[in-house]
Amino acid sequence: MSKEKRRAVAVTGIGMVTPVGNDAPSTWKALLDRESGIARIASFDPSGFPAQIAAEVKGFKVAEVVEAPKLLKYTVPFTAFALAAAEEAIRDSGIQPTAATASRWGLVGGSGMMTAEFEFLQRFQAEFAADGEVDYGRLGKEGERFISSPEFAKHRTVTGQALLHRRFGIRGYSANVHTACASGGQALGLAMRLIRGGQADYVLAGGYDSMITPVGMTGFCLLTALSTDNDEPHRASRPFDRTRTGFVLGEGAAFMVLEDWQSARERGATIYAELAGEGNSLSSYRITDSHPSGDGPIQAMRWALEDAGETVDGVDYINAHGTSTQMNDLGETNAIKAVFGEAAHKLAVSSTKSQMGHLIAAAGAVEGVICVLSIRDSVVPMTANLTSPDPDCDLDYVPEGPREMPVDVALSNSFGFGGSNSAVLFRSPERTEQQGEDDA
Amino acid sequence: MHRIVVTGFGCITATGTDVEATWQAVLAGESGIQPVSSWDTTDWKYHLAGEIKDYQPRTLVSDRKLLKVISRQDVLGLNAVDQALAHSGMLEYRDSLEDPTSFNDRTGVFVGSPGTKYRQQHDYLQSLAEAGENISVFGSEAMDQVHPMWLLRTLPNNVLAYTGIGHGFKGANENVTAHGISGAQAIAEACRYLEAGAIDRAVVVGYDSVSESEALVYYASMGLLSPRALKPFDRDRDGTILGEGAGAMVLEAKDVAMERGARIHGEVLGTSVSAEGGILSVREDGEGLVRAIRASLEDAGRKPEEIGMITAHANGSKPSDASEALAIGEVFGASSVPVTGFKWSLGHTVAASGVIEGILTLSSLRERRVPGIASLENLAPDCSDLMVSADEQSPRSSLGLLTTRGFAGLNSCVVFSTDVD
Repeated sequence: MSKEKRRAVAVTGIGMVTPVGNDAPSTWKALLDRESGIARIASFDPSGFPAQIAAEVKGFKVAEVVEAPKLLKYTVPFTAFALAAAEEAIRDSGIQPTAATASRWGLVGGSGMMTAEFEFLQRFQAEFAADGEVDYGRLGKEGERFISSPEFAKHRTVTGQALLHRRFGIRGYSANVHTACASGGQALGLAMRLIRGGQADYVLAGGYDSMITPVGMTGFCLLTALSTDNDEPHRASRPFDRTRTGFVLGEGAAFMVLEDWQSARERGATIYAELAGEGNSLSSYRITDSHPSGDGPIQAMRWALEDAGETVDGVDYINAHGTSTQMNDLGETNAIKAVFGEAAHKLAVSSTKSQMGHLIAAAGAVEGVICVLSIRDSVVPMTANLTSPDPDCDLDYVPEGPREMPVDVALSNSFGFGGSNSAVLFRSPERTEQQGEDDA
Repeated sequence: MHRIVVTGFGCITATGTDVEATWQAVLAGESGIQPVSSWDTTDWKYHLAGEIKDYQPRTLVSDRKLLKVISRQDVLGLNAVDQALAHSGMLEYRDSLEDPTSFNDRTGVFVGSPGTKYRQQHDYLQSLAEAGENISVFGSEAMDQVHPMWLLRTLPNNVLAYTGIGHGFKGANENVTAHGISGAQAIAEACRYLEAGAIDRAVVVGYDSVSESEALVYYASMGLLSPRALKPFDRDRDGTILGEGAGAMVLEAKDVAMERGARIHGEVLGTSVSAEGGILSVREDGEGLVRAIRASLEDAGRKPEEIGMITAHANGSKPSDASEALAIGEVFGASSVPVTGFKWSLGHTVAASGVIEGILTLSSLRERRVPGIASLENLAPDCSDLMVSADEQSPRSSLGLLTTRGFAGLNSCVVFSTDVD
């Protein structure tokens, strides 16, 4: 690895909206209390769908947590989650953009792909496709009057980005990335590189998504990717279990405030962890899977370790991608074994998707925050519902319950449809400071 | 820090199926903007677009099986990638290696993507029609009627995924969905990983198919479109015109490109992105663009007077062109550097525009010809400080600046050079 001195990146603020809690403390407590966020879908009648369960955000009212009525008219559910989680992260960090620092603040978001609301699609169909085919004559005549300005604005792929710029006054480097389930992890990695490279001193970074809509649910059901264990929602997500049958769709958002380590120290910020390395790779095997050998994820984890200057023996905890599909969990297990060798069996590996489902573009960001909290509190969350071990998945998945253990280095894996992989590595502040002294 | 060179490119646009045809059309003052042919636009007021002519997907992608699992915009993106790879000769080089593992691990893919499209929603209209308000019925209807691969066809990262699967690249990757700056930002992001030494080469591609039926009426509803012509910086400009297309470049660390004896077509000297705070609209004073231009020059280590030409965003919108003229004037001074744009010829290809227009900037620098803006008749008073013309100009150096802008108040710039020592 490169020996040149580079800026270390500190995590100084965190925020989450998840299926198990509408902020970071309540999400963390629910995970450690072994709660599940998975239930029968409440936001629409799911009885005609093969999968009728999901991990929905519950009791969330954005207006109660984000006082910006003018902006809220441009939100759809997942951008509202983003505003709330980002608000919490900024508040938690104790710093925010000012006129003087605005252009030194960056934004990186991994954002979801479902920008059109179902209700809008229903109205479009009723108005312009009464018999199921688009009536182009009518669309040309009436289309301009059909849509309002906020309605047009809220369905852009960049709207979450625009709302976050405006809400917090961010005016520097800004990126909106989408590599499906790897989006959140890649966003954190890019944000780290922005600070390292000097393009920003502070970055608000995270992910936000919701595909729990009638269109999103059918899209995944058609691929038979979802668990249809409708009678046992709490047990439906069983990562690494022999009886696993697919993932459970979740929704939510998570953000972090990242900043230059030295300046965070100087302002007396509470530093949760160092975001110390990232590995970003492409599996290039099949659109929905990596090779069972773990090729692709293997490179991502190796490069994250190299980038952070850590060896396999240094890692204490991996927050796995662990979706509860046959292919992912096997391939990920094989990848961990390939990278860590003997050390693979000394690691704690767990999948919080067992409790909160798969948050797709938000997953990597949420699970990154969980790694940070594991470091702070010296406890790692469990893999719930792992009761029938799979002989091919034979790592220590923390099935018995949350485990108290020191965590100095934690790795978060996210692998996406399309083959993009992200591994991001977090290090405890103590270890970072210790290494700084050793180098000096 | 590694220097980054361009070793291959390709594009498909409203005016041609490759870079040469697209470039010659620009030089000849030809535009690909015509009445829409993809659907019946009888009685449509906003009926113009820069569509791909005679779209034949089976001739555009080499793997025909792919057509079942990708959408129209993906076909365009993958076609541009194939062209750029062939132009670069990098696959032949890989085939000459005893073990290509390291080559593949150190090849990245960076994409400017439009995100999801309106036409993909059409697949659900039949189920909606049959279900009415009943979502439960919708669920069972959709399970019967919608193609099982619908979600995969709709993925915003299909071009990224199939570029990897098709060629075995396994390095760093990003899929940027940032409206009009997506293409330029994809170049910037590739440079980030190249400069850091995390990869040796990258395929960069921007693609879009903006000219969809709903897009035309909705953009028009927002006052963004012209029903007549795309006339950048003109007194009578009244909006942009949407298009479709794709452009791709192969970028390599200079030492790596030299080592394999690659032909070098230019260098990327600097990049930038800035946010100015808007939701859909641009700031009238061009403040965000000024910062983006300055940041790209700083990144390139160059001064404004060294820039030989500017490829402006030039989308024909009243506020965007005026604020762009202000920003260029503020950084470069009045009438000091030749300015052009290409959207009058290609239409606004949004997520693709940065890469396509970057390639045409390299053509301009290489041939020392800054094409005229053929639709420009009367320079607008609020753009009068710009050195723009309907006629060809000459660049004053071998350095070119590309500016791009998008919704969310985004600006992104790239500084290119064709004088690679």
